[in-house]
Amino acid sequence: MIVENTGKVVLTLKDVSIDFPTSGGLVHAVRGLSLAIHEGRRVGFIGESGSGKTTTALAVMQMLAAPGFVSNGEIQLGDTDILKLNEEEMRKTRLRRVSYIPQGAMNSLNPVMRIENQIWDAIIAHEGNVPKAELKRRSDSCLESVGLPARTGRLYPHELSGGMKQRVCIALGVSLNPELIIADEPTSALDVVTQRHVMQTLKEVQSKIGSGLILIGHDMGLMAQSVDELAVLKDGELVEHGTVRQIIENPKHPYTKQLISSVPLVGGDSFLDDSIGAPPVNRSAGSEPLLEFDNVSKTYGDVTALHPMSFSLDGEVPKIISIVGQSGSGKSTMGGMMLGFTPPSTGRVMFEGADINRMNPSASLEFRKNVQAVFQDPYACFNPFYRVDHALKFPFKRFGLSQSENHTEEKMFEACTAVGLDPSQVLRRYPHQLSGGQRQRLIVARALMLSPKLLIADEPVSMVDASLRATILKNIYDLKDQYGISILYITHDLATAYHVSDYVIVLYHGHIAEAGPPKEVIGNPQHPYTQLLIDSIPWPDVNRSWGTSASADEDTRTLAELSRNTQTVFRGAVPGFDLTIPGRLENAA
Amino acid sequence: MTDTTQSSNQTGPTVDSAAAGVVDTSMASGRFNRFDNPWLNPKLIWGVCILGGILLLGVIGQFIWNTELVFTGSTPLKLPPFGFENLRRQEGLAEFPLGTDGAGRDLLALLIVGTPNTLMIGAVASLIGMSTGIFLGFSAGFIGGRVDDVIRIFSDVMITIPPLLILVVFQSAFGDVSLFMMAVLIAGFMWQSPTRLIRAQVLSMRESGYVKMAQLSGASTMHIMFREMMPNLIPYLFGSFIANVTTAIVTAVGLEVLGLGPQRIPTLGRIIYDAINSGALIQNLWWWWGLPTALLAIMFIALLLVNLGLDEVSNPRLRKM
Amino acid sequence: MGGIPRDYIINRAITFVLTVWIAATLIWIIPRLSPVDPAEVMLGRMASGGAFVEGSDQILEQLRERFGLNEPLWVQYLLYLRSIITFDFGLSAASFPTPVSSLIAVALPWTIGLMLLSVIITFIIGNALGAFMVWERTPRIWKVVIPTLMIFTSVPPILSGLLLMWVFAVQLRALPLTGSYGLDVVPEWSLDFAMSVVEHGTLPALSIILVTFGFWTLGMRGLMITVQGEDYVNLAKAKGLRPRYILYKYMVRNAILPQVTAFALKIGLLVSGQILVERIFSYNGMGKLLYDAILDQDFAVIQGVSFIIILMTAVSVLLVDLLYPLIDPRIRQSAERVA
Repeated sequence: MIVENTGKVVLTLKDVSIDFPTSGGLVHAVRGLSLAIHEGRRVGFIGESGSGKTTTALAVMQMLAAPGFVSNGEIQLGDTDILKLNEEEMRKTRLRRVSYIPQGAMNSLNPVMRIENQIWDAIIAHEGNVPKAELKRRSDSCLESVGLPARTGRLYPHELSGGMKQRVCIALGVSLNPELIIADEPTSALDVVTQRHVMQTLKEVQSKIGSGLILIGHDMGLMAQSVDELAVLKDGELVEHGTVRQIIENPKHPYTKQLISSVPLVGGDSFLDDSIGAPPVNRSAGSEPLLEFDNVSKTYGDVTALHPMSFSLDGEVPKIISIVGQSGSGKSTMGGMMLGFTPPSTGRVMFEGADINRMNPSASLEFRKNVQAVFQDPYACFNPFYRVDHALKFPFKRFGLSQSENHTEEKMFEACTAVGLDPSQVLRRYPHQLSGGQRQRLIVARALMLSPKLLIADEPVSMVDASLRATILKNIYDLKDQYGISILYITHDLATAYHVSDYVIVLYHGHIAEAGPPKEVIGNPQHPYTQLLIDSIPWPDVNRSWGTSASADEDTRTLAELSRNTQTVFRGAVPGFDLTIPGRLENAA
Repeated sequence: MTDTTQSSNQTGPTVDSAAAGVVDTSMASGRFNRFDNPWLNPKLIWGVCILGGILLLGVIGQFIWNTELVFTGSTPLKLPPFGFENLRRQEGLAEFPLGTDGAGRDLLALLIVGTPNTLMIGAVASLIGMSTGIFLGFSAGFIGGRVDDVIRIFSDVMITIPPLLILVVFQSAFGDVSLFMMAVLIAGFMWQSPTRLIRAQVLSMRESGYVKMAQLSGASTMHIMFREMMPNLIPYLFGSFIANVTTAIVTAVGLEVLGLGPQRIPTLGRIIYDAINSGALIQNLWWWWGLPTALLAIMFIALLLVNLGLDEVSNPRLRKM
Repeated sequence: MGGIPRDYIINRAITFVLTVWIAATLIWIIPRLSPVDPAEVMLGRMASGGAFVEGSDQILEQLRERFGLNEPLWVQYLLYLRSIITFDFGLSAASFPTPVSSLIAVALPWTIGLMLLSVIITFIIGNALGAFMVWERTPRIWKVVIPTLMIFTSVPPILSGLLLMWVFAVQLRALPLTGSYGLDVVPEWSLDFAMSVVEHGTLPALSIILVTFGFWTLGMRGLMITVQGEDYVNLAKAKGLRPRYILYKYMVRNAILPQVTAFALKIGLLVSGQILVERIFSYNGMGKLLYDAILDQDFAVIQGVSFIIILMTAVSVLLVDLLYPLIDPRIRQSAERVA
């Protein structure tokens, strides 16, 4: 826990405790936290939601949500005791001495004010009246320091992309050269390429002004590539603190070990256990392929969400096909078309030889029974009006699988147990009484109970806590292995796709960039887009180079060029899955 | 690595639930109410009690009071309420405890007969309007396309037209109308806001995870509408219903004060119309216009309380005030 | 206004035209569904009432021709639409042969004046109170006083009008009971006249303001609670901005936007409320004109007044809609989405 440091101390936390009085008694959000942050150093606060990392940061800003308060300890910013400042003094300290870069970049800028006005009002609030020309010069240089053109200042927030907004927030944060910057999960809503760009920008401006930096996050990979020191928090307590190298290479606390191992790696060991698993059951019906895309494309107005593609998946040996892409790549459009929610603009989507958009009611019911889905948001998937067992019971009866009330109950209990839930504890609850992880596992249990032939899993783990992702993915993987269900796994996360899938399709702007078995496509990417994606993933490996701000800039430009490149790199085929791009000669076998 | 999977399998739920607990308390400790049931809202209870009381006045009053006294000339003229004195130094009589009007009618009897009539117009108009709104809102949200366009534009247009004026034109062309007819006419202008509200809700619910789940479960459109969506709309529907009752009564009273509406049936608005027309204000016959006014005001306040209560039921963030 | 997308303007303009057209059509159809055609009744009454007016026969004959009463219905309808867009509503039966339009021209300024005054004041007071109810720095006393005031917000202005009349005009004799100016002053640009107008306008305006501000207060309160939790307000605080500045430029500035939209939807009801207030105060505006016409069964006036008030409402809505993009830079995007 000893960290060697020579620089001046910018922030000292001495035995800080933070309490929230509630009707259920006092909740100790942070307990006896002590830590010093030196100038020019980047310190990561890592922990899951509720670990007290954000609460600590807000206490430094004196912006704790009511009724929270610092019940014990000292917070020293340089030589100033923050807790002794009055409101006006604290106001003047914010931004000038300690700045805050918020989590929700999408919503952190005033929607009715131009960007430059939002920089100017900050300067005026701390320095009084500054001539307009001077303001303009400073806001322009601020924006340029984070790699945005000066004309960005004239725009409104809704005209910027998520990454640009977050960089504006960084520009704001460094506009008055503070001693300390607190960045609260600044990249949580961004895709990996943008994440890398924003993080590099943040690191660059921070080292330029030489301030201390607190980076709050839950991703050990991001921490390893971004900070110098790491503080691990759990349930409001500091469980481990040291240099990032000490912690990653030699973690002491079991919780730290768990955090590190929960990051899926490309290559490396699989988090899946291959040894178990009965031989898959053959559940195909006749000779028709299970799912077939016949020259399918989708356009919305002038925008092409998905360019024409054909594939057929037979169900003889259950497989997991991953569709990987960032937001806007067309991957969810594909999912919607497979489920019959989105009709294709051209071509046909066929299930066991029948066009799913031209089915009579009874065929449609049969199709529903055989094709199920797990969606991204486990909070939205349960009707808040009913107890959670409604979502399991209703389809089971509707599809005529239920023999009796007791049979239904029995099946529900079985399915819950199979995904690691205690049925007596969860089934009679209302959705808001369960955690996200529990709800997502219930949805998996639902799929298991209905035992469809095909499951569409659309970002099933992107909204659950990192420590649970592996478990839920394993549950889904078991569906294939033990129950013979073929799965289409739609995700933005290449590392998990690498481990679970038999075949990977990388989508970019509605085109297939690269496709083939995961060991080829993700393990040894050939297409520049796939390469860029892999390079951008942060890994919990201190020795790995994650590029610089300049290279990230370069990558953003490459990315723009790639959107015009519609070439597909085929990396080999697997039996039972054929992919073709209509109108192309160089097709896979 | 296999070990980790196993261990996270066990520690998962505990980490999860602890986290959920802390987040809840730090984000919105105000949500913890003394009552867990949001429907036990004091505003809602007060509002319902007052409305119930007013309704009881009408129902029980019919039995214990002589309602024949609503006819012209059945009482002495312009008597003040019991215990008061009018400008002509006449004392109020216990026989007519709330006084009498300028046409020799007992005010208590008028109120007993008029209040249920007024409430009835509000409830019937709102009910018809709501049903139309539910039908149109669901059609627009579900069928979409051209149907949606037509319904949306039509309700946008009709919400701009002040109902009072069209009704004035109607009633002055048709003359006397019945109580029920009046309610139906007002209902013609009560469907726009529920239509808009329900359409917006249906459109957002259609994209929600649980409706997609229901579709995946092979649910019929009817099931999705009435079993999945409708239960979640209940607080909104109640709120919209109460707001519409208020608007309908205001419109009805407005028409009556202009001298339109049912001519021979006592309603609260009609009593006020007669009072103003007979110069009750200048002659200081305050009970004549004042009592129905006060009763209406209490009615509106009760409706407002119910509506505020319902707002808090459906939007927990408002509850902390 | 170059920044407003064209689709948005066209969309609003179509809604406006549709509103006016549907209202005009309703006003025309309704009397024709009635067992007695008021137009015939009216002509009859004019004929008897106009017996003492010189040349009344010719006037009536011209009327008959212009309404096309002998033509098929659709011709009558088209003729009606033509005359109504030129604000020609025919002649008043009660004060024959005065054209309805000139009666309206006299009454309209009073109504518009009262409306501008009361509606704008209400909107400002209501929203300000709603904002202060939520702001964390508002003195505690206000947070008790404002909700108490809100009790009255559900009462329609006509009832508050009666109460105010009784207290201030009958009991205290502090303000005049009825009318829009005193009988002792001549309508001209003089101080006496202006004073009289203000005196007479106070009670009607007050009775509207007192009971309608609460609608805005309630709405604003809900919106402010939402905005208060927005990330940009949090960041504004983290930027060290002054609390008052955050209140105006970050919170109120954003919370007011849906209120402006609600305003457009609410104008119709506000106007109806005011018409009734004018009627009980015998204020020389459209409300009194309408009430007198109902008493006299003067159908042409009823038609004309109703149409003009609906038109006024529709114009107000159109104005609000067209001004809205100026205060919300995002409208460009959402308009594109609609299209």
